[in-house]
Amino acid sequence: MRSKRTIKKILVANRGEIAVRVIRTCREMGIATVAIYSDADRGGLHVRFADQAVHVGPSASRESYLAIEKIVDAAKQTGADAVHPGYGFLSEKAEFARALDRAGVTFIGPRPESMDAMGVKTAARARMAAAGVPTVPGSTDAIADEEDAKAYADDVGYPVMVKAAAGGGGKGMKKVERAEDFLSLWQSARREAAGAFGDDRLYIEKFLEKPRHVEIQVFADEAGRTIWLGERECSVQRRQQKVVEESPSPLLDDELRARMGEVAVRAAKAVAYLGAGTVEFLVDAHRNFYFLEMNTRLQVEHPVTEMVTGLDLVRMQIDVARGEPVPRQEEIVRRGHAIEARVYAEDPAHGFLPSPGKITYLRVPGGPGVRDDSGVYAGWTVPQHYDPMISKLVAWAPTRAQAIEKLIRALGDYTVHGITVNVAYLSAALAHPAFRSGDYDTGFCERYAADLLRPPDRGYEDVALIAAAVAAFQRDHDEAEAFATRAGNGAVRSEWARLGRARALLRGGRP
Amino acid sequence: MSTYGALLEGGKREETLEVKRLGPGLFEVRLRGRAHVVDAYRHDHGTLSLIVDTASESAMLDWRSGTKVNVRLRHSSYALEILDERKLRLRRAAGRFAAEGRQSVTSPMPGKVVKVLVRAGDEVRQGQGLVIVEAMKMENELKSPKDGKVVEVLAVEGQAVEANAKLCTVE
Repeated sequence: MRSKRTIKKILVANRGEIAVRVIRTCREMGIATVAIYSDADRGGLHVRFADQAVHVGPSASRESYLAIEKIVDAAKQTGADAVHPGYGFLSEKAEFARALDRAGVTFIGPRPESMDAMGVKTAARARMAAAGVPTVPGSTDAIADEEDAKAYADDVGYPVMVKAAAGGGGKGMKKVERAEDFLSLWQSARREAAGAFGDDRLYIEKFLEKPRHVEIQVFADEAGRTIWLGERECSVQRRQQKVVEESPSPLLDDELRARMGEVAVRAAKAVAYLGAGTVEFLVDAHRNFYFLEMNTRLQVEHPVTEMVTGLDLVRMQIDVARGEPVPRQEEIVRRGHAIEARVYAEDPAHGFLPSPGKITYLRVPGGPGVRDDSGVYAGWTVPQHYDPMISKLVAWAPTRAQAIEKLIRALGDYTVHGITVNVAYLSAALAHPAFRSGDYDTGFCERYAADLLRPPDRGYEDVALIAAAVAAFQRDHDEAEAFATRAGNGAVRSEWARLGRARALLRGGRP
Repeated sequence: MSTYGALLEGGKREETLEVKRLGPGLFEVRLRGRAHVVDAYRHDHGTLSLIVDTASESAMLDWRSGTKVNVRLRHSSYALEILDERKLRLRRAAGRFAAEGRQSVTSPMPGKVVKVLVRAGDEVRQGQGLVIVEAMKMENELKSPKDGKVVEVLAVEGQAVEANAKLCTVE
């Protein structure tokens, strides 16, 4: 099929693992790539992977990865035909899509009008309700006066969620359990929203009982064909941030899945959607589902959908941007089970304190059905300026139980030295009986917080102590020997090196 | 033979180990009154293959300083501090004064000071927030280690700080 538009070079307006992910597909498609980087990212993996790289400013995001003008200039300067925004940063800024359009560069994403329609959450809710998509009960508009807001919340009944109209990513979002906490949390949400979005409008939603976060991946082409590719269950969240995602959801049966898929397609069509998008729903304890919001971009957790459908969503995005059609709904086949765990540079044992710094050693897991989407390497200093996610580890297996075991096994092989990562926390989450049973909701991380911070196994403590003591002894011994050598005795030789040679000789081999 | 003190759980527990070299890569280690024969083989960066008596184990050692090491074994990670006899003596002597005198509050990671919550001369309670440092898009409140008085504030709002940078002192 002939494309309507030629795309031979793509600028990836992002960093870290998603930039690397996009560049990989471009390379497979024979498309040249341009990376952008800030001061802190000169040594970033995405810079090495790309064919060209353009420096766009200092480390702070707002002066580099959020600087629309500089990025549009970089696209023009390198002759890029299109820009892939990844997720986060400028991916949901209609203003960015419009600036590229004016410069004659294709934005790989939806039309700016669709982004506008979904960007303001209250407007999106109203539009969805009009299109017959069920929404979480709550205020249809932002509420300006805090006393009015409280009266509304009192009326709906606690708990309620206070959310930012311009919101997303958990910013300006508060759960209010009791009437007496309402005003202070409302004010706090208002400050956060103003800081994060420059817009302090808030609205109120009813807090659903044992809510589960289930989202539907949709895809649409220029001709308006809109399909859904299945769901992702993302109820394992900490402070409104997703930690583990899986597909299929253990909650859904075929009937509910198909109904949600159809509603998601209706939501996308209502805003004349184009490309990859995600319609997020909350599902309550009675299996009622409600529209939450639509993310007008590729999601962090898209690999789980790729693993169960066998599709490359980045390739499909580029195809759609070239004016090519998406597959027909009946061509989409899902197989097996995929789970993703987000590897964060943070220390769960110390209040999830961020842990930027230099990675001194890195060994990533492999084996059948394991995928590591990483943006780091040994020797790289994880910058303090950006998100702490360094990688996404995904496992696929024919059944959910096998996928859980596979991901736990793979996390056990994930070794990162120099900085602290959350792999033990992730393993504990996957191994938890509530997760294994499939009966969990968005309160999982909070409810089982103590279980998920497993102390080290006392049964192996002695071996750990012995390992550390032997290593310290050998090091001290080596140091003493090196000191003696400098003083004029013998050759500098590490005990470990000598040991390797001695063993090789014993076996009759070469050192 | 060398003796080492191992501190566990941030110093809440202490164990003593005696290490004796028997031959190349072969050691006798005494711990909790038991002697183990340990065959140690170093694979690559920090990976130590151990045969303890007959059990075969792989330990990954992530040294964070000359004495602090995270040992990963099976599905557990042990944060240890290994001190030789001299360092152990110094530590014990210092330990007696730990809760008294001046205490520095340092940044646990590189970041940016977004808010200074106290001024020199302020009376503070243990656990009270002193300085907020932002890293990786998250705000982290650093708290007072003791009841006392802020005698020195080095942190400046808006300023970047390195890991272990001194932010203030409480006496």
